[in-house]
Amino acid sequence: MNFSVVVSQFWPLLINGLALGFIYVLISLGYTMVYGVLRLINFANSEIFMVGTFATVIVSRNFFGFNQNTDPLHGFKLVYTLGACLLASMLVSGVTAVLVEIVAYRRLRAKGTNRLASLISAIGVSIILQEGVRILTHSVPMSNPRLLRKAYIFNIGSVGLRVDTLLVIFFAAILFFLVDRFVSKTLLGKAIRAVSMSEETSKLMGVNLNRVISATFLIGGMMTGAAAFLYETVYENTKYNVGFSIGLAAFTAAVLGGIGNLRGAFLGGLSLGLLEEFAAAILGTQWKSVTVFLVLVLVLLFKPNGLFGEAVQQTRV
Amino acid sequence: MINIRDRGAELWENWNRPKRTTFVILLLAVIVLLPFAGDYSFSSFLNTPISSYQAVLVYPVGIFVLMSLGLNIVVGKSGLLDLGYVAFFAIGAYTAAILGTKTHLNIWEIMPIGMGLAMLSGVLLGLPTLRLRGDYLAIVTLGFGEIVRIVAVNNRATGGPNGIANVPNPPSIFGVRFALDNMQGFFWIILVMILLVIWMVRRLSIRRPGRAWEAIRQDEDVAMLMGVATLKYKIWSFSIGAAIGGAAGVIFASKSMYVAPDMFTFNISVLILSCVVFGGMGNIWGVVLGGTILAYLPERIRFISNARQLVFGLALVIIMNVRPDGLLPRKKREKLHKTVQPLAVEGEQNV
Amino acid sequence: MNKNSQRVLGVVAAAALVLGSVALTTAQAATKSVTLVYQGPLTGTDAQTGQDELLGAKTAVQMYNDSNPAVKVTLITADDQGEGAVAGTVAPGVAANKNVIGLIGPAYSGASIASFPSYKATRLTMVSPSATRVTLTDAKSPDNGFPFFHRVVGNDALQGPAVVRWSIDGVSSPKVYVIDDQTPYGTGLAQAATAYIKKMKVNEVGSDSVVQKTSDYTATVAKIKNSKANVVIYTGYYPDGGALAKALNDSGWAGVFAGGDGVLNDAFIGVAGKAAAEGAKFTAPAVPFETAATDAQQVAFTKATGLKTAAGHVYVTETFNATNVFLSCIKLGKLTRAGIQQCVATGTFLALDGKTVLKFTRQGEVVGGAPVGGFQVVKGIIKYFGAV
Repeated sequence: MNFSVVVSQFWPLLINGLALGFIYVLISLGYTMVYGVLRLINFANSEIFMVGTFATVIVSRNFFGFNQNTDPLHGFKLVYTLGACLLASMLVSGVTAVLVEIVAYRRLRAKGTNRLASLISAIGVSIILQEGVRILTHSVPMSNPRLLRKAYIFNIGSVGLRVDTLLVIFFAAILFFLVDRFVSKTLLGKAIRAVSMSEETSKLMGVNLNRVISATFLIGGMMTGAAAFLYETVYENTKYNVGFSIGLAAFTAAVLGGIGNLRGAFLGGLSLGLLEEFAAAILGTQWKSVTVFLVLVLVLLFKPNGLFGEAVQQTRV
Repeated sequence: MINIRDRGAELWENWNRPKRTTFVILLLAVIVLLPFAGDYSFSSFLNTPISSYQAVLVYPVGIFVLMSLGLNIVVGKSGLLDLGYVAFFAIGAYTAAILGTKTHLNIWEIMPIGMGLAMLSGVLLGLPTLRLRGDYLAIVTLGFGEIVRIVAVNNRATGGPNGIANVPNPPSIFGVRFALDNMQGFFWIILVMILLVIWMVRRLSIRRPGRAWEAIRQDEDVAMLMGVATLKYKIWSFSIGAAIGGAAGVIFASKSMYVAPDMFTFNISVLILSCVVFGGMGNIWGVVLGGTILAYLPERIRFISNARQLVFGLALVIIMNVRPDGLLPRKKREKLHKTVQPLAVEGEQNV
Repeated sequence: MNKNSQRVLGVVAAAALVLGSVALTTAQAATKSVTLVYQGPLTGTDAQTGQDELLGAKTAVQMYNDSNPAVKVTLITADDQGEGAVAGTVAPGVAANKNVIGLIGPAYSGASIASFPSYKATRLTMVSPSATRVTLTDAKSPDNGFPFFHRVVGNDALQGPAVVRWSIDGVSSPKVYVIDDQTPYGTGLAQAATAYIKKMKVNEVGSDSVVQKTSDYTATVAKIKNSKANVVIYTGYYPDGGALAKALNDSGWAGVFAGGDGVLNDAFIGVAGKAAAEGAKFTAPAVPFETAATDAQQVAFTKATGLKTAAGHVYVTETFNATNVFLSCIKLGKLTRAGIQQCVATGTFLALDGKTVLKFTRQGEVVGGAPVGGFQVVKGIIKYFGAV
């Protein structure tokens, strides 16, 4: 037990915990939206994240020609480079997610079989993606060149706010807001919600099921891709197995908030990020995941459907 | 598509008793002699490159089949998604390692202790969590599996990340030796355990617990309304599965003579679940087949070392898409209410 | 998929299996030759280490076979992925292969312990280039590999103190923070370092354990800053070490980042970034191949591996030395496992530089202890500073 850390390092822990939490929020959208529509755990989402991190790294290194010796960028050039990386990540992850749906789920769904078959099929796809990237990269980690100077832009008292963490919080919050609006306001969003309430009924009402499901995977994948880009801006490294632990955390976050529920994912992601940082600081990093799971079990004991549960059925995806 | 299961069942139904007995004896004889298959040219295609064929038959093949049968009770029979089955395997293995190195108990004496501890942890985990439904249970069991491993890494009694070395081999029974240079001994004892589990599951399936599991799997609410004590039977299924996992762990520890936390990762849970679903959830023969193939295949294709896992993933996707209910699925009768086919057709299939 | 395509798939799969076994049998059917096997992680998370080491073994075997000896040597590989569970299946197979008379490896300590029972039972001599855990050669430990295990690398009991000495070298009033990665290697080295810190009464201000593949080091960085440490010793591998060094640097921490041989890799600079890597110190019971090798050895290296230089690849020298121990014995006409064991246990061998003498103690350590070298990142390049 080490409480002095929390006293002296409270603000860095809080702010970095929030930034990590926002990354979890975006990834857990990939889990929660798919779960809402199809009622199954999209096991391949961690690999969709992994593919997204490589998209960012490859665009900045090979397309823009940056490397470890390049100086960080300024002004307009910085904006469009970051924008290109973000778009690339979102696009690659989104398209991968749609492909995963077609390869791993569509046939099985048409046959109307048990959900575990889809789960195993998804595990198969995620092994293929991971091993494919491992072979292509020779198991070597790839690092993202520093595009954004990690400067402290302003201080509140003794607390420094670093530009990359702010960028994460800012971007993730906007993206989440957009998705939330999209799902509740647009026609496609309404169709997604309809399918998640009742697949049969919405089919009868003329909803094109395959299109709606593809759209769900696309949006979930794009959010996961955006998370991958933000992850690369902060941590600047990736490897073929980067998705596993972070995907597991995001999935936990989705369950914690109440899987299938957008705002639940938001709350779950933020709580998980903060919980991880403070547990690691107080109890020791090795007990981080144990603490997370114990908290999860406790929450589920009292609220068996997660923090947000079924109560807010309306906002279900 | 040819229905191997129904063809097989049809054949079996039409046989008389002597024919059935002969078939079972012949099949068992072939399986018992499997460890020697690598030594003769006509069967040497079974040999695994680099890794020892006889060792592969014990771990992963034998132990995976045993664990798949245990997990099948939980996932296949009563429909509870357990993503942390490796925890019970680890508990069994560490029990064997600690008691085997610290006390004078031999592995056969440790076996019931290991199974008991695994069962106990199954009950302790099950009591609070089995009230949860479907995917919530999945994440909690997944967490439990990770917790067991992390505790093993951070604990002095379990040797930390270094694990425990020099776990003793079991003493011989009926003149069968259990040693590194005599792997067939391990294979045979696991075979006996597999047969015992199959026998037990078949007995349970047609009796009250089996029918209760079936009811729970199909519709828990209805089962509860009909007076099935759902929580009780769920905990039974969970702890029987756990005990089998624990038994597999005890044998594994004494076979490899060394346990370390990195042997009990989440991957094992996923692999065992894949064996169950790949082979055919709920069908014992399917699960046995699934366990055998998924354990043996990666070792057999070691000559393509680098792309081995890739091929494994491809196999999972292709087979699940072609045969979503597994290689040997359970009988259709059980899914009657889910299909929209006319009843007459279903009836015909069942005759 | 229809019936026909299923049948085709089945046939293709069967053919692949048969072809695979044919390929294996033909590979073994060479003329008068013996087989050495390299065991280490060639796939999986730690594949890079194994692939690097294999370069050294290939070079040594290439040089040997090019000298037109009476008995040719075939080098085969056994991939244990650096994991105990895999090694437990691989080792019995290697042990049962009667052509194999010596084993270069196992590369990792955990995999070594899991392999020992098989190799002891079949009397196969091992010379490891990189398994550094102390207990492997400790007569009192239950997991020793006596008498068949040998290593040409200094163990953690030598490296632990060295990494402490080298990291606090030139730091006035050092405050040390030790972090391990919860692997058998990392915890072993951390224990050795901590023991030396206590013995020398260096000021240790804290310790932490961070599992591999962690991406966010905020909590660890917070603890380090809170403890006012000015030296951080990380005992683990370079992908995680690099990420930690970067996180420390980004948080504005300025102190000495140090690590053992697991972190010593060119890729560390790539992962950490130039700014964070600058000044980082490493130790390794290893001499870089490119500094110690003769011209002939460099040529052989390029010929065997197709690479221009060994820079950035770890343990090449050690694997070369380990392979050479076996090759020297084969030159003396020892072509059985018993002959090799007797020769390795009692013989005297030369290391890569042609000067350093390698001779094994009864427990399998190099007599006099292998030297531990100090390295530091200077202007983006890892420089060798000699023994520390």
